[in-house]
Amino acid sequence: MSIPITLNRKDFVSDQTVRWCPGCGDYAILASVQKTLPDIGVPKENIVFISGIGCSSRFPYYMNTYGIHSIHGRAPTLATGLAIANPELSVWVVTGDGDGLSIGGNHLIHAIRRNINLNILLFNNRIYGLTKGQYSPTSRTGTKTKSSPMGSLEQPLNPIALAMAAEATFIARSIDAHTQHLNETLMAASQHKGISFVEIYQNCVIFNPNEWIGLDDRRVRDENILYLEHGKPMIFGKDMDKGIRLNGFRPAVVQLGNGITEDDLLVHDETSTQLAFILASMEFPEFPAPMGVIRRVEKQTYTDGLMNQIETARQIKGNGNLRTLYESADLWTVTAKDQNGVASKQTGQLSLEVDEEYVDELDKEPEVTTAMQDRLIEDTIAALSPKAPITIDVSASLAKAVRQMNTHRIGCLVVTDAHDKLVGIFTEKDVLHRVVGLVEDLETAVIADYMTPDPIALKANLPIAQALHEMHMHGFRHIPLVDDEHRPEGIISFRDVVHHLKERFA
Amino acid sequence: MNEETEFKELDSIVVRFAGDSGDGMQLTGTQFTNTSAVFGNDISTMPDFPAEIRAPAGTLAGVSGFQVNFSNKDILTPGDSPQVLVAMNPAALKASLKDLESGGTIIVNTDAFTQTNLRKADYAMNPLEDESLVGYHVIEVPLTTLNREALKEIESLSTKDKDRSQNFFALGIVFWMFERPMETTLEWVQKKFAKRPDLIEANTKALQAGYFFGDTTRTFQQRYRIRPAQLPPGTYRKVTGNEAMAMGLVTAAHKMGKPLFYGTYPITPASDILHALAPLRHFDVRTFQAEDEIAAMGSIIGAAFGGAFAVTGTSGPGVALKSEGMGLAIALELPMVIVNVQRGGPSTGLPTKTEQSDLLQAMFGRNGESPIVVLAPQSPADCFNIAVEAARCAMRATTPVMILSDGFLANSSEPWPVPNPDDIEPILIEHPAAREAEDDPFMPYARDEETLARPWAIPGTRGLEHRIGGLSKAPLTGNVSYVPEHHEQMTHDRAEKIARLAEFLPEQEVFGPSSGDLLMISWGGTFGAVRSGVIKAQRNGRSVAHAHLRYLNPLPRNLRDIISNYKQVIVPELNGGQLAFLLRGRFGLNIQSFPKMHARPFKISEITSKIEELLG
Repeated sequence: MSIPITLNRKDFVSDQTVRWCPGCGDYAILASVQKTLPDIGVPKENIVFISGIGCSSRFPYYMNTYGIHSIHGRAPTLATGLAIANPELSVWVVTGDGDGLSIGGNHLIHAIRRNINLNILLFNNRIYGLTKGQYSPTSRTGTKTKSSPMGSLEQPLNPIALAMAAEATFIARSIDAHTQHLNETLMAASQHKGISFVEIYQNCVIFNPNEWIGLDDRRVRDENILYLEHGKPMIFGKDMDKGIRLNGFRPAVVQLGNGITEDDLLVHDETSTQLAFILASMEFPEFPAPMGVIRRVEKQTYTDGLMNQIETARQIKGNGNLRTLYESADLWTVTAKDQNGVASKQTGQLSLEVDEEYVDELDKEPEVTTAMQDRLIEDTIAALSPKAPITIDVSASLAKAVRQMNTHRIGCLVVTDAHDKLVGIFTEKDVLHRVVGLVEDLETAVIADYMTPDPIALKANLPIAQALHEMHMHGFRHIPLVDDEHRPEGIISFRDVVHHLKERFA
Repeated sequence: MNEETEFKELDSIVVRFAGDSGDGMQLTGTQFTNTSAVFGNDISTMPDFPAEIRAPAGTLAGVSGFQVNFSNKDILTPGDSPQVLVAMNPAALKASLKDLESGGTIIVNTDAFTQTNLRKADYAMNPLEDESLVGYHVIEVPLTTLNREALKEIESLSTKDKDRSQNFFALGIVFWMFERPMETTLEWVQKKFAKRPDLIEANTKALQAGYFFGDTTRTFQQRYRIRPAQLPPGTYRKVTGNEAMAMGLVTAAHKMGKPLFYGTYPITPASDILHALAPLRHFDVRTFQAEDEIAAMGSIIGAAFGGAFAVTGTSGPGVALKSEGMGLAIALELPMVIVNVQRGGPSTGLPTKTEQSDLLQAMFGRNGESPIVVLAPQSPADCFNIAVEAARCAMRATTPVMILSDGFLANSSEPWPVPNPDDIEPILIEHPAAREAEDDPFMPYARDEETLARPWAIPGTRGLEHRIGGLSKAPLTGNVSYVPEHHEQMTHDRAEKIARLAEFLPEQEVFGPSSGDLLMISWGGTFGAVRSGVIKAQRNGRSVAHAHLRYLNPLPRNLRDIISNYKQVIVPELNGGQLAFLLRGRFGLNIQSFPKMHARPFKISEITSKIEELLG
């Protein structure tokens, strides 16, 4: 990154009048950015600022770089498309706690997760300023605003923890009022390849002026800020006499001395995920506010990955050729001489598949079936040695039917018509549910009225599995078998199937 | 060889394959189409997917169909009604029977007509055994049994696996019926299952067994012969609308010497464009699967600002989400293309079915005065041309362009004479050059006198640093401005530059008499049906002409003159009358509407009946 360019702060000042409220923290951040950019090693024309909507989102207008003032919450999406279109650019997203965490929360998460090479500056003032003072997603519970006169009911979002959840490769925090710290933090962000997420505590003098008391006043801030340095113990305080120690899984503030030394303190490690979460959880004033680089790890950026894929594809397939693309299907040629004589040739790839379900199934390894499944599918019903059916004419009386069942000691009669074709089935269940106690005169009642008409009947050459399936689906215990003329030729019961399997596997 | 089977010479025939979504009907239909295309027929196809990805097997919701019209002459639609139906189960029969031409042929797999399957298809009685198929020529084939028998020697496959190739048995029968060679499909099987010799054997045997079954049994009294079509000389391939769209976009990017950035969120029926583009990294195609529709839109604005050919693809619900971003794109005046593959609406509507009901959304679906260029392809292959034209329009006027494709065009296919890429004109783009401090300041909204386009200055160019945004702007500088005159002028300029595209685009052509009793005006995917209907009516001596619009905004410059030459003007469209509404508003003329909202394409017969009704 040693491009010989000599730029200064003024090169980055646009011709537009800055229109934030007097005393707004944004002025300090703008000045800091304009101060830092000349030194980041990127030509001015390669720098782009993209914002959404909100007070902070006016930022690009004041930067003499390329820029887009886009729509509410969507800045990370434009920045992503821009970075992919031209990975050489240094792309900066300027957003706020409303723009970035409320309406645009999802985009922020995904831009971070993809490790796009962006610098995201989130100005956090814990209030909606442009719409004149409603609570924001980072406002503390109980914050009284125009839209929450009795206090906000909502749990605030922790921007650093959110960035951690999305596995940001660079996370830092700074504050508008601490120019030197902000400059250093912005410089570190600009030098990181991949996503750089910087939360900047920013003061809204109009709607939330006291939010950062204790942190933004140079007389007291050093007492309350934990300045993070990689590899250094976590010491803070005006007199550098306090530190952060771990009690179990909990961080705790300790006073150095009385046996407590630097060796007892946590040592900052920018590559530790666990430590980053601990730092994210440390809220002022219970803890000093951690500032500086919280996390910094190296991972492949999205655009590096993409450019590698393009390079690899070109190595394998060569630079894309349109003719080859058009012809990557089955082709046929119609000749002028004899238009009926069609010469066909096959080239290129196969056409698009649309039958995913079908093709997926084909590509599966053959299913492993159990021996029992195989038996049930391959053995036909005939293998059950079905009993001959006891038939009864459809005009017979119930009394005759019951006598038949008793005589033969069976639970099921097959009912036939005058042509000996199957018309019904009459079982113990029917006796129990339809006859006993309901029919007074068994001699005059006809079986036709009490049987199950048109029962499901099978042929003996079908697999046993099908018989089992029908029994299972309908709760049958018996299924009649018929020949091609629909005449009963046997009957099988569930017991027969069990018996068959027992014989087979005994 | 069964000597007694007669050949019947036909000009064209429509065949539908219908089965369960797991039966491989799309594959079967595609194979039949490829073979017919290679044989030299003109073809037009229409798949009909179930809305549910994996509906329960055997149910009506799970029926998957594929219709192909093939012909010895030029055809424009997949056909009104199939004359031959292959039904793999009762649900497939039930779902397709209402479309079948009376007297048509039905080939059914009788093995699938079990009590269970009949019940799943809501058949109280087996339709093969009652009167419900009287009037059709039903060919009953115990397909499962025959196929198992044909494959019985392949020991490595289970019965279930063998049954999966029964679609190839059915395909074999149909190949025999229509005198198709098996080579194309057999080669495909070899390539597809190169790693599974047992599947090659199974599918090959199934196909051949089906073919020979037709040949040796006397089940079929009739075979059909459809000779190759007299297509213009050239090399052809089959192409679907989504494939053609993808190739058109890549071509456009190539012709402007830019990477193609395709930022999108998966949505039916547009996702296949993404699937076709994603493997084209070697063309410097940069596909980006965004986290949502809004992000996809934002990403193409960023990519366009960065100097790429930026495109997104979606369907109506996605356009709804993108509309705020489209408004920004219009205000920024950056070139980009938004492809809307329309489906039935409103809301989630009918994701897998077609409709043309997003025209007014395309025209007006944004806040403020936000005109956009709207183009619509007229056939699957025309998606290629329209993609290139959309790119030209976007670049010429530095503005977003919307393409209105639809679910029918997206998934249907037709033969495409493969173009010579060298014959496609380059798309010339001029980015302003770098400036030095002593040069005049750069004016991002200084317009081209002829086109009113603004300079497309891209980051990385020295001296052109500028800021643009969604706030109202001053002319020339683009600086934020609330001056009333500035707002009016910028609003006017954005509309005017789109209106001026009409001078660049071709005049509207009319098919048929230049004046007369009736003019039919259609747009988008209805071209084939309307044109075919008009041809039929003309042959019957009707004074009817057809104007099919591919440019909807701006409208062709000569359209008003054309319309005033006819006694009656009617607009058939697959919506509630949106183009008719637009044309009435634009021209103040008496224009009738012929709406259809079945989420299915027009049938030719519906067009001819309407013409007869109007002309008495």
